[in-house]
Amino acid sequence: MNAVLLLMGLLVLSYLGNLLVARRTSSGAGLPSGVEYAALGFVLGPHVLALFGADSLRAFEPIVQVAFGWLAFARGLDFGFAGDRRVRGGSLALGTLGAVMTAAAVASGTWFVIGWVHAPVTGVDRLLLAGGLGAACSETTRYAVRWVVDRHGARGPLADRMNEIAHADAAFPLIALAVLFALEPTRSIAMPMPLRDGPAATVLLGLVIGTGAALLLRGEMELEDTWAALFGVLLIAVGMATRLGLSTLTVCFFVGLAVSAVSQHRNVLREMVAPTERPVLLPALLLAGARIDFRAIPALAWIAVAAIVARMVAKVVFGWTLAIASSSARKAGPLLGLSLMSSGALSISIGLALALRFPGKIGDTVLAVAAVSATVGEFVGPVRLRRALSGAGEIKDAHAPSEAVA
Amino acid sequence: MSTAAAAGRRGAGGYALHVVLLAAFGGLVLAVTRLAPETHGSLWTIAAIGFLLLAGTLMSELVAPLGLPHLTGYLLAGIISGPYVLRLVDEHTVKTLSPVNTLALSLIALAGGAELDLETVRKGAKSLAWATVVQCLFVLVVVTGLFFAGARTVLPFARSLRPAALLGFALLWGALSVTRSPSATLGILSQTRASGPLATFTLAFVMTSDIVVVVLVSLVMSIARPLVDPTATFALDSLRTLGHNLFGSVALGTTLGLFIAAYLLLVERQMLVVLLVLGFGVSTVVEYLKFDSLLTFMVAGFIVRNLSSQGHKFLRYIEQTGTVVYVVFFATAGADLNVPLLHTLGPAALVLALARTVVTWAGGRLASRLAGDPPALRTWGWSGLVSQAGLALGLSVIIAREFPGFGTQFRALAIAAVAINEMVGPILFKLALDRTGETSPIQAPSFPSMIPPPPS
Repeated sequence: MNAVLLLMGLLVLSYLGNLLVARRTSSGAGLPSGVEYAALGFVLGPHVLALFGADSLRAFEPIVQVAFGWLAFARGLDFGFAGDRRVRGGSLALGTLGAVMTAAAVASGTWFVIGWVHAPVTGVDRLLLAGGLGAACSETTRYAVRWVVDRHGARGPLADRMNEIAHADAAFPLIALAVLFALEPTRSIAMPMPLRDGPAATVLLGLVIGTGAALLLRGEMELEDTWAALFGVLLIAVGMATRLGLSTLTVCFFVGLAVSAVSQHRNVLREMVAPTERPVLLPALLLAGARIDFRAIPALAWIAVAAIVARMVAKVVFGWTLAIASSSARKAGPLLGLSLMSSGALSISIGLALALRFPGKIGDTVLAVAAVSATVGEFVGPVRLRRALSGAGEIKDAHAPSEAVA
Repeated sequence: MSTAAAAGRRGAGGYALHVVLLAAFGGLVLAVTRLAPETHGSLWTIAAIGFLLLAGTLMSELVAPLGLPHLTGYLLAGIISGPYVLRLVDEHTVKTLSPVNTLALSLIALAGGAELDLETVRKGAKSLAWATVVQCLFVLVVVTGLFFAGARTVLPFARSLRPAALLGFALLWGALSVTRSPSATLGILSQTRASGPLATFTLAFVMTSDIVVVVLVSLVMSIARPLVDPTATFALDSLRTLGHNLFGSVALGTTLGLFIAAYLLLVERQMLVVLLVLGFGVSTVVEYLKFDSLLTFMVAGFIVRNLSSQGHKFLRYIEQTGTVVYVVFFATAGADLNVPLLHTLGPAALVLALARTVVTWAGGRLASRLAGDPPALRTWGWSGLVSQAGLALGLSVIIAREFPGFGTQFRALAIAAVAINEMVGPILFKLALDRTGETSPIQAPSFPSMIPPPPS
């Protein structure tokens, strides 16, 4: 398939995806985070039906980078907010704690399994693989929690808390990604950067560009010029991060965070950017899915099982931590933490970022496991969340919308 | 936005901040190119597009108080950041931006067609007909004559040409002089939101003259070939192919227009995606069929406007999508301007560009007198016809390929002259719109006071 046909296909997908999403809000069809598009990409991609080949995927690499960069920017712009409300400090801390706990558990579990199955990964590569899996598997997608809360009309302190936590756990995996990128600096950079400086430079670049963008948008501008300025700044951030070998996602996230922190028009900007997320997300997930290669490493199945089990254990333990702090969480039962199993766009975009930066056994393994983890999470998370909210008495009629999420 | 409105919106501090931020972003990009000299192929193109977008937007805001059009700002941003000045954007990057140009040209042509109201065009048909005849034939004949008479004086390489070959060269130059720039016209009209006799006339003329110019150039090339190459014979075969292509373009454009009108009437969702499909997908089909894409899209826009009630809605969608694309398109055009060549051939190109402008002015006055135009059109009707851009450069490439004997010199001269017209033309047209009072006093929707409607 040539590049134009693939582009047309992606545009059609974006179109259809939006129609489905518009209907989904009322009918509840499909998976909440849209990870089925990654599965569709995998089926259509070079490793299954080969409707488009590796060359086409390479041609679209810049578009994928921009798409995921834009999503990271939107995530940064929205970070610390759940809908119109600011996330409470406690939820922010809990979200970060949950991400750290999960990342640590997944990284430790996979580090151990890599040695146990004698996978051909050693030294820095082993660290990159374990760390990459930790980063990719640590988030909880915002959409899944919001989807359950909206669909079942959940109202109450636990629903609020879970929603806020899902909106507050993106920073850690993205910083971890910056650290992983710094472990093996790009060879094209003229000035070698010590390990400790890499993540700092990544964050700093994002903050500088974001502050510049916020200042730029300080006064009154024509609406189209605002889009041009925003988009221009984002493209500069993506291009510079790539050229310097830094994490594009992290830079873009901090651009969004800085704009949100500095700009007096943050609410207007959020309302402008939010509707663009879905049209960008679905084709991007499809392209990411097309890159998935389950033959990346012989022990991939073991590593995937280890990562998913470690993630589940970490989430359950996190649920217990939550129960200590909240009485409504205690009512939800001991498996409350599994409600946060859903992962999606961020997880896959971290996997893809690593696959692009460390192609081969490291990056491709992380991407494949991230996709599997997201799929498993979609089956477990929303069901457990519905039960937890019913248990806490925050869903009035638990039996009304009874069809399975999947 | 008018100058006054622009100035009213932002104080001196705001402009100073924009200058500082533009310099800061430029410095940042420059520092990165020095820090990491090795590029990552197409990924750096992303940053280049971003910088052109940002610099073009900011520069357009900065030149607005001077009464200059946004388009000039975009071009300046491109020139300054391009391969001949700061080298923030290199030649390779400029070439890889061709898909953006394809998209921009399709949107420009769609918008151009959709702006043409049949009733208004019919009312001004007399002016249009006289202007087409005079601006094509008069300009062709006079510029050819002037070039033939003066070329040996200003162009050293012309001295070695035989008289017949020089006449062929002059004829081709004359044909090239007849080309206008629909993109520049649309760019200015989109910015100023102008309406009135001058805006309508210029738009209608520039869009319809595309067909005339394509036929004329084909004809002139057939005549010039035996003059340049004594062994070649006069043949009109190319006109038959051209006829097929033109009819095919009209047919495809009509179908496309009806489809767009039906879609707007029945569905009207996700217009951004639909326009992208039109811009990339249909352009590829048109290219494969060897049809004229400008004509195809223009006819499609014209059909939407005049055979349905969806024209205004369609224009609004194009405007929303197009602004970002236009900035990159014109900034890329600026970056593509060969500044060293302009320096070398500048004096000769300046003389030729000036001669063309004077002839265009005289042609405008003559056509207006013959058509009995209103005073505004009589005084300023020529002003929108000075701009030249992609069409002229495209034809110069064809001419250079078809006439290898002097093709290289011809193309270099064309690039230099078009560069001058590309810079001066939009300024003249905006000045004319401001002077005739056709520039809209209504300001464009602004941020942060207006939120876009939610996606359908």
